[in-house]
Amino acid sequence: MTQGHPASPHRRAVLAASLFLVGVVVLNVFLFPPAQVGVILLSGLYQAMLFFLVASGLAIIFGLLDVLNLAQGAFFMLGAYVGFGVYRLLGEGLALGVRFAAALLAALLIGGLLGALVERWLIRPLYVRPLFQIVLTLGLAMVLREAVRTLYGPAGLIPIQPPAPLRTTLTVLGAQFETYRVFIIGMGGGLMLATWLLLRRTRLGMVIRAGVEDREMVEALGIPVGRVFTLAFALGSGLAALGGIIAAPYIGAYPEMGDVFLLNAIIVVVLGGMGSFEGTMMASLLVGLTRATAEQISLEYLDTPLLASVSILLIMILVLLVRPSGLFGSEP
Amino acid sequence: MDRQGAVFFLAWLTATWAPPLTVAGMVATTQGRSVVDVVCAKGGTAFVFAGVGVLVALLLSVVLARYWPMPWRQWVERHGWRLWMLSLLMLMPYVLAWLTRSSACRRGPAFFWESIFIETFILALLAVSYNLVFGFAGILSFGHAAFFGLGAYVTGLLMKHLGWNLFLSGAVALLTGAVLGLFMSLVALRTRGLYFALFSLAMAEVIHLLARNRILVHITGAEDGFVFSVPEWINPVRHRLLFYYLALVSLVVAFAFVYRLILSPTGRVFLALRDNETRAQMLGFGPLGYKTFALVISGLLASYAGILRALLNKGASPNVLSLDFTMDPLLMTILGGTATFDGPVVGAFLLRFVEHVLRNAQFRVGPWSINLGEHWALLLGLLFIAAVLLFPQGLMGSRQKGQETP
Repeated sequence: MTQGHPASPHRRAVLAASLFLVGVVVLNVFLFPPAQVGVILLSGLYQAMLFFLVASGLAIIFGLLDVLNLAQGAFFMLGAYVGFGVYRLLGEGLALGVRFAAALLAALLIGGLLGALVERWLIRPLYVRPLFQIVLTLGLAMVLREAVRTLYGPAGLIPIQPPAPLRTTLTVLGAQFETYRVFIIGMGGGLMLATWLLLRRTRLGMVIRAGVEDREMVEALGIPVGRVFTLAFALGSGLAALGGIIAAPYIGAYPEMGDVFLLNAIIVVVLGGMGSFEGTMMASLLVGLTRATAEQISLEYLDTPLLASVSILLIMILVLLVRPSGLFGSEP
Repeated sequence: MDRQGAVFFLAWLTATWAPPLTVAGMVATTQGRSVVDVVCAKGGTAFVFAGVGVLVALLLSVVLARYWPMPWRQWVERHGWRLWMLSLLMLMPYVLAWLTRSSACRRGPAFFWESIFIETFILALLAVSYNLVFGFAGILSFGHAAFFGLGAYVTGLLMKHLGWNLFLSGAVALLTGAVLGLFMSLVALRTRGLYFALFSLAMAEVIHLLARNRILVHITGAEDGFVFSVPEWINPVRHRLLFYYLALVSLVVAFAFVYRLILSPTGRVFLALRDNETRAQMLGFGPLGYKTFALVISGLLASYAGILRALLNKGASPNVLSLDFTMDPLLMTILGGTATFDGPVVGAFLLRFVEHVLRNAQFRVGPWSINLGEHWALLLGLLFIAAVLLFPQGLMGSRQKGQETP
């Protein structure tokens, strides 16, 4: 995986993706009145952020460990349930904001802790058999989903209340839009930036990126790569869990909630080029906006949100045909 | 006369006497009734004469081959226990009828157990097709349910809505499976294996969503699925015994086909590509063509299993397209032994029967009464993880080591 300057090999991919994004926006402007366009774009961004939170973990873990963690969707779901649990546990006495923040923090920490445990005890013995790692994470996803279903029942939980300021609606270009979704966008954007800074500007990020490039060399330099791997895995699963609790006040919590997000995250990662963090950022925007637009189009003309899932699949097929390694992946 | 000669003489004596004895048994048990009546009679009367002939013939061929250089000697040595299992399965409806004192082809306990065996044969067929891509060709696919479900859906929908006959719609269903396999390999096989796993997962999930969606409710029945009328001669309720043998023969043919394929030069290339792609490429075998071939064949077999499933249930629900029908063959293959011939079949039987036992079992742990069947999916997941971590070779993997494991 030798790359030259990070920007140069992907210039055409960036250009194509940007052109596509502009195209989607222009299509929106042509098809819908401005009030709707605002809502569609915001809703696209909101979806993009949630996809990103699941997909970034997939990308980081894949890039570093060559493991496809298909349990990311289950971590997403688990984050929502853990957050709900902590939120309920703290009781009515505390301020809503404190309870909500505690729920977010708990989801991040417990998700991360669980991820670390999984890496240490389940994934590590299997580094010699890569195909079986994927199979194992799929089994893990199944176990987590079924365990939650056994403990909490198949019905799912009633969404919790976010703090008061987040329960209002905003007026965007003359259309109503929930503040909470803006909060999700902000939170997702913040996390995106934070993760990017962590990977690009800190020593840990440098070690992680070096590990992606050449594992043996990093090991030879005396860096405990195993511990870094565990940390990266924890980071990925923690982000997914955080995504789960962030989404939960809006979509609730139910055992299968992770599956849809996993599917979209997979498409994002494949589109972005597996293991490329920047690619994942770009591709989640692409997928989110396309989905939102396709959703709106099919609601207007087809009376069902079917086109949303089909459109991104078509894009994925197209990208795989033209550029099999994804937008930002290095050529195999 | 040496020992071999003595055994051969005994065998010859039995061989000459067994057929007349069997015929005499048949005549004695029918007692003037029609053969169908005897076959469907309660208990083991039919089992007596149907069983004797098959067992004697098998016993003879095995014994003869062991002690005498018969032309099929090598063949018997290699397939000995498979033949025993096969003959057991061939007799199974009668054994069941005998054990439960019911009829092999009318409603009753044996009738019910036959349906479980049929389901197992279909799942085993699916697992055999999965093993072809996963075990032998080394392609990890998470979209196998798409082949299986499309086989069921295409057959059923064509018969229901267009009134096509079974063979035509079945042929179209098989073609659909092959074309899907071709399409998936052309799109995604060009890159590393993981892309293919992800792509097939997304692809299958989209087909699943399509089948579930309200937009096609007039055609597919959305969440509820659909039912269609099956031709009378293959109706699994009226002629379950026939369907039992149809499913069994299908499984045997698929097994034999995969067996021959893997031991053929083409199959050798599959294994070479799986084990060391670069090296196989250096030797002049382009990976794309061979992998596509494996995937198309596997798609054909899986959609054939889907057709059988649709016929058995006289309908299909979106469930057959769900991830469950990718996970099941995957787990069966791993449990039984990846890249072994018998592994997927053994895994299918193991899993299906453990599930059946657990579904009806009630355990008491202190004050709690637990029905493990309700938590079957959880158990399955735990089993999955345990299998991957602890015995990746599978049940058959260690047994076959060094013999014919490709």
